[in-house]
Amino acid sequence: MISTKKSLVLKGSMLMIAGMLFASCNNNNTPKDENTENLTDSTVVSETEATNNVFYSLPSPLQIASIFKKSGLKYQDGITSDVKEPSKYTTSLLKSINLGIYSADLSYCVLNKQNQAAMNYMKLCRQLADNLGMGSVFEQNNLSKRFEKNLGNEDSLAYIIAELQMVTDMYLEENQQPQITAIVFSGAWIESMYLGSKLYETSKDKTMGTKLSEQMTILGSIINALKVVKDKDPAIPSLIDDLQNIKNDYDKSPSVSAKTPSKDEEDEAEINLTENEITQLTNKIKDLRTKFIKG
Amino acid sequence: MKKVFYISLVGFILFSSFSIIQSEGLIDKTKLTADCKAKMEPYKYDSQKFTKINFNENSQLLEIEVPVFIGEKYRIVFNTNALTTNKININVYTKSKSSSKRETIFTTNGDNSNTGEFVFDVPRVRKLFIDYEVPADASANKISGYILMMVGYK
Repeated sequence: MISTKKSLVLKGSMLMIAGMLFASCNNNNTPKDENTENLTDSTVVSETEATNNVFYSLPSPLQIASIFKKSGLKYQDGITSDVKEPSKYTTSLLKSINLGIYSADLSYCVLNKQNQAAMNYMKLCRQLADNLGMGSVFEQNNLSKRFEKNLGNEDSLAYIIAELQMVTDMYLEENQQPQITAIVFSGAWIESMYLGSKLYETSKDKTMGTKLSEQMTILGSIINALKVVKDKDPAIPSLIDDLQNIKNDYDKSPSVSAKTPSKDEEDEAEINLTENEITQLTNKIKDLRTKFIKG
Repeated sequence: MKKVFYISLVGFILFSSFSIIQSEGLIDKTKLTADCKAKMEPYKYDSQKFTKINFNENSQLLEIEVPVFIGEKYRIVFNTNALTTNKININVYTKSKSSSKRETIFTTNGDNSNTGEFVFDVPRVRKLFIDYEVPADASANKISGYILMMVGYK
């Protein structure tokens, strides 16, 4: 009897120990919804991020389009991406970057009340999102149907796009795909800069020139955000190089280098680029856009 | 003596379950997002960032760089309800932690409201640097949590 009691106690104790070990292992494992921001697990964090403990939050394509709109960016027919067959994009990077390009075009059309064009870009965004395996976000909260129903109501459409952005961000967070967020925004930024440059070409409006240079202040954040996730897609380092080349040339331009005597003042300086500098900058952006659109 | 065995068994199940909950299995990110969104009105959603906090024996300073644009109106909402402690301070600065010239424009230090949600309307700046001051806590080693930061604009 004593032996049986001992045996039961022993079994119970072993189960407790097993439970503790199991629990301990569970804590050390990478959890289901863990992103690359786990600060103590060096196996999933890039060296840069783990060393500096600095992260980057990027704005939405809609906000960028809204800023350009406030600066006087009028609708100009035929300047948005004319690719109507997104299935030509076969790599994850090309799908993501062109999703960003379409998102910027969608925002541009919505804010300029171009209903049919907005509807077309919404469908193209949906197709690319499907190709990336995240088409379900368009069905959340009846977003697709609400978008169609509210065509013509700019404010409502802008709120629906903002909601679409939120559910997309949630999806990518839950599915541990922070690299897609960074790549999509890179595409949206390239397209927004392109649209702004097209308007500058026709108007030579100095306000637009200032806005283009203001947008350059976030290029550093985009590059750093991409560096954090560079190990998640082998094509990211090449994208970083492309964007870094644009930033290097911009930083070297006389108007910029004359205004940024120290890192502390860099973010405060208002840069007024010369026409030649704007042309050089926008030509580089056009080349990069063409490269990604061609696929 | 069977009683001892069953108590041990229940202990095992409870302990394992508790640990899984602690390790974030039941953190409802959708609810955290919805709660932040509710505080965002009438600002429009722009972006959000979940930051995972792992406590350990060393204090940590985590920084998020948020580009903003002059002339725009922004609101930032923080939700700390998925943290296991309320000892983390959130500070917002005009410059990065490497700069000697930075100014604090928002802090939760001294806030005893205990709601886990903080709303902050952003003044005119080019970039925001949001710092999470995570204190050392050896007793909480390996127990993690999340802070959600949501950015909105008008």
